[in-house]
Amino acid sequence: MPDRLDDRDLERILTDIATRLDGPKRDMWPAVRARIGERRIQPWWSRLGMDRRTLAPIAATLAVILVAALLLTPRIADALGHLLSIPGVQIYQVPQSPTARPNASAPTFAGQRVATAAEASRIAGFTVRTPAALGEPSAIYVETAPVRVTIVYASVKGIPVSAQAGVSAIVVEFKGTIETQIMAKAIGPGTFLDAVPLGNGVAYYLSGQPHQFFFRDPAGNLQPETLRLAGNTLLWEQDGYTYRLEAQVSRDEAVRIASSFR
Amino acid sequence: MEGRPAEDAVLVERAQHGDTEAYGELVRRYQALATRTAYVITGLSTEAEDAAQDGFTKAYFALGRFRTGAPFRPWLLRIVANEAKNRRKAAGRRPTVDLSVAEDRPSGDTALSPEEAALASERRAFVLGALGKLREEDRLVIAYRYFMQLSEAEMADALGVARGTVKSRLSRAIGRLREITAGQVRADA
Repeated sequence: MPDRLDDRDLERILTDIATRLDGPKRDMWPAVRARIGERRIQPWWSRLGMDRRTLAPIAATLAVILVAALLLTPRIADALGHLLSIPGVQIYQVPQSPTARPNASAPTFAGQRVATAAEASRIAGFTVRTPAALGEPSAIYVETAPVRVTIVYASVKGIPVSAQAGVSAIVVEFKGTIETQIMAKAIGPGTFLDAVPLGNGVAYYLSGQPHQFFFRDPAGNLQPETLRLAGNTLLWEQDGYTYRLEAQVSRDEAVRIASSFR
Repeated sequence: MEGRPAEDAVLVERAQHGDTEAYGELVRRYQALATRTAYVITGLSTEAEDAAQDGFTKAYFALGRFRTGAPFRPWLLRIVANEAKNRRKAAGRRPTVDLSVAEDRPSGDTALSPEEAALASERRAFVLGALGKLREEDRLVIAYRYFMQLSEAEMADALGVARGTVKSRLSRAIGRLREITAGQVRADA
């Protein structure tokens, strides 16, 4: 540069440069939205401290046997790592979206049927909360080993009866810990896992292809009668309790319902 | 500028309550600023976009900690800048500040003669080259002021410094840029 630039020259040139700077040419939101959905999904190989390419053949083999491993040996499945850190809940990625068994019927709800949330609270030993947005429950069930409360809404205006659950909405509440895995889900590539803010925390919304869902008994074993497909589901933790809302509603509507728990 | 904070605040609050499309609106609104911020640090446009996207993602998960009533823009840019700094450190290289980004769009030079336009282009290239030799914090303060037109208060928030520090830091950065263009300083001081 032949001539010296003073501060005013520099300011003028910098301002000139600013008018020429390009931003991204396409809408970033779809990519950001996808990253938000993936954020909580920690690849299991990252916990092993090995290069992904080294693990690829092993990963392919493990992916094929993962569903069987889930059913037969929970310890192997545990070793692969769960995706979320909601107490009491494990979510696994599986290579294919699960399909319904030919004779699968709407789920039956285990436990003692009680008349009110207050009665359920007394038996369960914690305050059972219900979503005001769904109105009065159709039925409430309480199980004690492990303690789990299921609240059923058979028909709610504006929420279709789910092909998987046979009702409009199901709410499950339990006290979960990291050590005791009460509930598990297996999601395939067609199921979208999205993290959304809820109150001061984060909730997880599963949508798209139905996912596989089951409870474990106190010994950590799969309870076969609970193995079924589940539709759109919102999962969250509050004050040490884990909540699960299953209803064929949008993510925003699920969050609205979750925000109405009293 | 007056309307923006209130509108941002509404979108942020909606996003905090689970309205992801409200957050999408914020992403679209600030994707250019976020990418410029990252670009000033990484010096590579593709990496800048990637860093901006990761910054937006991290900001989303930090919404629960966002102070109600605070301006969103500098808060976001701070997160994006940190993301870009981490990437640059991990890559272990200096930014290059690619001139093509500044030269592929005509901007008010139509009144200039070909000779004058060529000189202006040369000066831009010269200053961009000098910017690349500045320390990261100097480059960032200049970018916030001249490339993104942030207010002093916003710059203070985005840089994480006291408001009174911004002026002196900007003045020092311009001074260093002047020294570099004058050939007095050739590398990081």
